[in-house]
Amino acid sequence: MNIPTHLPNVNHLIHAYRVAPWRVQRQWIGNALLLVVVFAMIAALYLTITSRTAIAGRDIQDLSEAINYSRQVSSDMETRLAELTSVSSMEERALNMGFRPVQPGEMEYLAVPGYVKQDAVDLSASTPAQLSALTIPPEYNQSLLDWMDERLISARRYQ
Amino acid sequence: MRQQYAWRSQVLAGALAFFALAIILQMTRIQNSPEAEVFRQQAENYAYEWRTFYPNRGEIYDRNGRLLAGEKMVYELGVDLNVMTDAHAIAYAVSDTIGMNYEQMLEVLQAPPEGISYVVLADFVDASQAQYLQELKKALNEQAPEGALGGLTGLQFKVHPQRSYPENSLASNIIGFVNREGKGYFGVEEKYDTLLAGNPVRVLVPTDPNKAFEIPHAPDGTSLVLSINRDLQAAAENILDASLIEYGARDGVIVVMNPQSGELLAVAATRRMDLNQFWNYNNIYDNATDFNPAISKTYEPGSVSKILTMAAALDSGTVTPNTTYLDTGSILIGGVTIQNWDRNPWGVQNMVGCLQHSLNVCMVTLSTQMGAGTFYSYLDTFGLGHLTGVDLAGEAAGRLKVPGDPDWYPVDLGTNSFGQGVSVTPIQMLAATSAVANNGRMVIPHVLYAMLRDGRQYKVPDQFGASPITEQTADTLSEMLAISLESESSLALVPGYRVAGKTGTAQVPVNGIYDGTQTNASFIGWGPVDDPQFMIYVWLETPTTSPWGSETAAPVFSEMAQRTVILMDIPPDNIRQQLVKK
Repeated sequence: MNIPTHLPNVNHLIHAYRVAPWRVQRQWIGNALLLVVVFAMIAALYLTITSRTAIAGRDIQDLSEAINYSRQVSSDMETRLAELTSVSSMEERALNMGFRPVQPGEMEYLAVPGYVKQDAVDLSASTPAQLSALTIPPEYNQSLLDWMDERLISARRYQ
Repeated sequence: MRQQYAWRSQVLAGALAFFALAIILQMTRIQNSPEAEVFRQQAENYAYEWRTFYPNRGEIYDRNGRLLAGEKMVYELGVDLNVMTDAHAIAYAVSDTIGMNYEQMLEVLQAPPEGISYVVLADFVDASQAQYLQELKKALNEQAPEGALGGLTGLQFKVHPQRSYPENSLASNIIGFVNREGKGYFGVEEKYDTLLAGNPVRVLVPTDPNKAFEIPHAPDGTSLVLSINRDLQAAAENILDASLIEYGARDGVIVVMNPQSGELLAVAATRRMDLNQFWNYNNIYDNATDFNPAISKTYEPGSVSKILTMAAALDSGTVTPNTTYLDTGSILIGGVTIQNWDRNPWGVQNMVGCLQHSLNVCMVTLSTQMGAGTFYSYLDTFGLGHLTGVDLAGEAAGRLKVPGDPDWYPVDLGTNSFGQGVSVTPIQMLAATSAVANNGRMVIPHVLYAMLRDGRQYKVPDQFGASPITEQTADTLSEMLAISLESESSLALVPGYRVAGKTGTAQVPVNGIYDGTQTNASFIGWGPVDDPQFMIYVWLETPTTSPWGSETAAPVFSEMAQRTVILMDIPPDNIRQQLVKK
C-alpha cells in the first residue's frame, strides 16, 4: 500500500501499530497456540485411533474365543445326539414301538436300476474349511511409532 | 499501567514455566528412581504369560458316520479366595451337588495353602451339575440384600472338553480310551494317539488388555472313520454274550472281516468296559492281553489251522483233492503216536474227507510228505509267528517253532499240522486264511477306513500281504471246504448262502500238559464262496456244554453270518446270481 508522503502522521501511526510490543506478543502467542492446537489434534487423533484399534483387536480376540466355544458346544451337542441315537437307545425305542429284528427269511430284495450301494460314509464338509489361520492385520496391533518404523525400513529397502 | 500488566504477565508466565519444569523434573526423577526400576521389573513379570492352546481331539466314527468317540463339555469348579464371601455356602452347595465330602471341602476353603488365591474344588464336573450350580449362584445373588453379595460369590466355572464315548461299552476293545491327561490307551486311541491329539501350541500372551494378540491356530486332531460297522458290532457282541451263556464258555471272540480288503467290520470280545468309566480298568481286566484278545491273546488254534496245512499240501503239489490215503486211526512221528480226535480209523479217505472229518492222521501224513522245510516255509509265509500289522495297539505275534529252535522236536512237525504246539491270535488266523478266500493273496487286517482333516476325507488304501498260495489252490481249497461243510450238514451252514469253513477243537495246555477237560472251540468261515464278502472267526474259551467246535462255535458262526448278510445287504446266492446275470 502506497502511503502519501504528505501524511507523515498517518505513516508514523501505522508504523507504531505494526511494531507495538503487545501486537508482537500476540503474534507469538497466536503461533504458540496454533502449535499447541496442532499437537493436541494429532494427539487426540492418535489416541482415538489407538483406542479404536485396541478395541477392534479385543473384539477379534473375543470372537476367536467365541468361535472356539461354539465349536466346543457343537462337539458337545454332536456327542449328546450320538448318545440319544446309540445302538442301545435306538433298539430300546424300536422295541417299545413294537418293532422286532428282521429274520433272514423275511428279507425281500429288489433290483433298483442305477442304484449303487455306498461302501461307507463320506464325511467331507460341503465347504472345505479355511486352511490358513485368521490373522489380525498389523493396523490393529501396530503403534504409530511401529508404523513409522516399518515405513522407514521399507523405504530404505526400496532405495 | 501497561508496564504493571506486563510485569504481572511475566511473573505469571514465569510461575507457570517453573511449575511445568517442576512437573517435568519430578517425572524424570520418578522415572529414574530405584523404586521405578522395581515397579518396571514387576510390570514386566506380569506383562506376558505362557499359555498352551490345545487342539480338540479328533473324533472317531464308524463306517456309516456314527460317532464312536467325541468330546463333551465338562467344568472345573474353583474358588477365587479373594472375593469369596461364604465358605460354608460354597462347600455345602458344591459337595451336595457333585457328591463330595463337605468337611474336606470346607477345610480347603478355610485353610488354603500359603499364597494361594484360587483353589480347584473339582474337575470334570458334568455340564448339568455345573449349570445347576451356576443357576443357584445367580439366584443367591439376586436374593442378596442390596449392596451385598450372594453366598456363592467367588465360585468359578471353567469349561473344557472331555473325551466321551456315546456307545459306552460298545466296541470298547477296538476303540480304547483316553485318560484325563489326554493320553490314549489301547485300541485306536493308542495306535493313532498322535494323529488324534493334534499338536498343542504354546505362546507368550500379553496380559495388557489393550494389546491385541493373535490367538494361535491350533489345528484340531485328525478325525478317523473306522471300517467297523456299528450295527454289526452290536450284533456280534450280543451273539457272543448269548453264546457264552448257552455254551457255558468262559470268554470268547467273534471277528468279522472283509476278506477281499482286510477291513475289520466287527471285533467282539467278552470283558468289555464302559469307556466313560475307564478307571474301572483294573477291576475288569487281569492283564493287558484281556482288553482285546482278538489281537493280543495267543492260544493253540487246533483244527482250524488244518486249512493252512491242506493249502500248503495242495499248493506244493503234494496232493490233489482226489488223492486218497488209508487212515488207520494213528500215526507215529518223532517217537510219539498221533491219533484222530475220536481215536478211530476212517479207512480210505480223499482230501475232502480228510477236511470233512478233521483227521489228525491225515494232516500228519501231509506234513510228513511235504517235509519240514516246505511245511514251515508255508506256515511262515502265512504269517504265523509274525505280527499281522493290524492297526490296533497291543498285537501279539504268537509263536511258531521251527527246526533249529532249541525247543523244536520232530513230533512238532506232526502236531503243528493240526494246530497243536503253535500259538496264534485270532487276527493271525484271519489274515492267514484270507489267502484262501481272496484268490491266494493275504490281506492286512485294519480298522482305519479314512481320515478327516480340514473338512476333507482321505481314504486309506487297503494293504495286502504275501501270496502264499496260487489262485487255483485257493479256489480249490474253498470248494473243498464248502463241500465238506455241506457233506456233514454242519451247524455252520447259512440258509441261502454257500459258505466255506472249518471247525477247530484244541485241548488247552496247562503247565505243559494238555488238559483233557478244557478245550478251545473255534470256527473260521467265509461266504458267499463265489464272491467272499465276509469272513468270520469264532473262538469260545472252554465251553462246558460240549467241548467240540462243531457243536458250539459252528452254530455261533451260522448265527453271526445270518445277521451279517442282513446288515450288509448281501442277498442270497440265487438272487445275487440273478442280479448279476441281468
